Amino acid sequence: MTQSKFEQYGGFAVVSRIVLDFYNRLLDDDLLGPFFEDVDLPRIVDHQTKFLAMLLGGPAHYTDEQISRLHRHLDIRGEHYDRMTALLAETLRDHNFAEPDLNEVIAQFEARRGLMVGMAP
Amino acid sequence: MTIEAINAQLLRAIGVGVVLIDIESRRTFFENDTFAEWFGASEGGRPLADAFPDLDPAAMLKDLQSGKRHDIEATFRVRRRSMTVAVTFSLATETDRQIVVAVCQNITRIKELEAMIDSYSLMVERNTREIRREKERVEQLLLNIMPRSAYDEFKSLGIVSPRRYDPVTVLSLDFSDFSRTVLENDASVVVSELNDIYSAFDRIGEQFGCERIKTLGNAYIAVSGMGDTSANHASAAASAAVRFLRYLRRRNETHPIRWKCRVALSTGMVVGSVVGVRKYIYDVFGPAVDEAERLMSFARPETIVANEPFAEAFGERQGLRRIGVMDVGGGRSMAVFEVSEPEAVAAEADL
Repeated sequence: MTQSKFEQYGGFAVVSRIVLDFYNRLLDDDLLGPFFEDVDLPRIVDHQTKFLAMLLGGPAHYTDEQISRLHRHLDIRGEHYDRMTALLAETLRDHNFAEPDLNEVIAQFEARRGLMVGMAP
Repeated sequence: MTIEAINAQLLRAIGVGVVLIDIESRRTFFENDTFAEWFGASEGGRPLADAFPDLDPAAMLKDLQSGKRHDIEATFRVRRRSMTVAVTFSLATETDRQIVVAVCQNITRIKELEAMIDSYSLMVERNTREIRREKERVEQLLLNIMPRSAYDEFKSLGIVSPRRYDPVTVLSLDFSDFSRTVLENDASVVVSELNDIYSAFDRIGEQFGCERIKTLGNAYIAVSGMGDTSANHASAAASAAVRFLRYLRRRNETHPIRWKCRVALSTGMVVGSVVGVRKYIYDVFGPAVDEAERLMSFARPETIVANEPFAEAFGERQGLRRIGVMDVGGGRSMAVFEVSEPEAVAAEADL
């Protein structure tokens, strides 16, 4: 059986550091930070843990329908998504992700753009 | 630089928040730099309630006066971040006035890690549940194609080695006029009816320890005595056979297709094994299976026939009627019996 990136990069022990790092970058970012302004800590951490576990092939699975439902109330625009993509790539690069793996993760993230961008009523 | 100056400098710059509180006025009179960074600087101190809104001063004083420390956790927001500090209050004794020292440790990272572990544990638990469900489905599927004993072997060793079972009783059943039934009825109706009937046979067989091995179109083959070496495999198979006939009769009263079957019971040796590498089929073969096939030609619709070893295992009962002799190959022949239903039911007392 082929290893997922989640396992390949050290499982939860390593991914947890990436999650916290990514979470800090998000909160510091003036474009994306406001999305998390009124969300309490456990929820943001839960969100980021599942988000990264999903992208890296860890133990989180979301259907397209779930992703779209979870983001429907947010006014996510193209520039937000671009920034999120850039932050994710930056974080993974800083955690020594090999470029092909990084591109694969980013491609996976990009594939879900339509589920989150422009969904707000 | 004097020791006092170094201490003062250290107290200001240390990574934990330190606050000194005057008990009488219930105000802070010293806040170090770390505390000021978290809560904002205050000139000349601030009321205790402003510095620690979550603190119950009476409870704190009660703890301190009884010689204990008082601990609280405070969560607040610094810009977009949730920050949690653990505050320990203790009484300073070597001063001319009573003061309380509050030491604040930033435990935000611990809280974040706790939240992450919670989130991850829930994910893993859910996955484990899904895997368990999947495993049960696979187990059910495999138990449909092989007996439990073979499945247990397959589970622990990854293979099922061929095994000899001697003696067991093979129950072979087929439907009379099957081709006509198929021609005269809609294919999906026939399949659905067969599915119903075979499922009922499975349930009946299970009651009597008679395990289905396979179905092949209109043929249903089960074996009794494979699970545990039962001395009563013949009686068990006979009981199941009678129930099969009765079930069909009762079913025919309310269904348009009238199913009629005949049954052959053959006692003897079989070999059970998984055949195939990628597409597993558990099968039995051997003399008892061959003889069951040959016996079938002696059976009329709605009757049960059996071979000689069955008659021996079943016992000398009035209900066995000799109806002929069959050739079993190699120049040998064997008596064939018909089993009466009441006799088979009476034999259940032995089970």
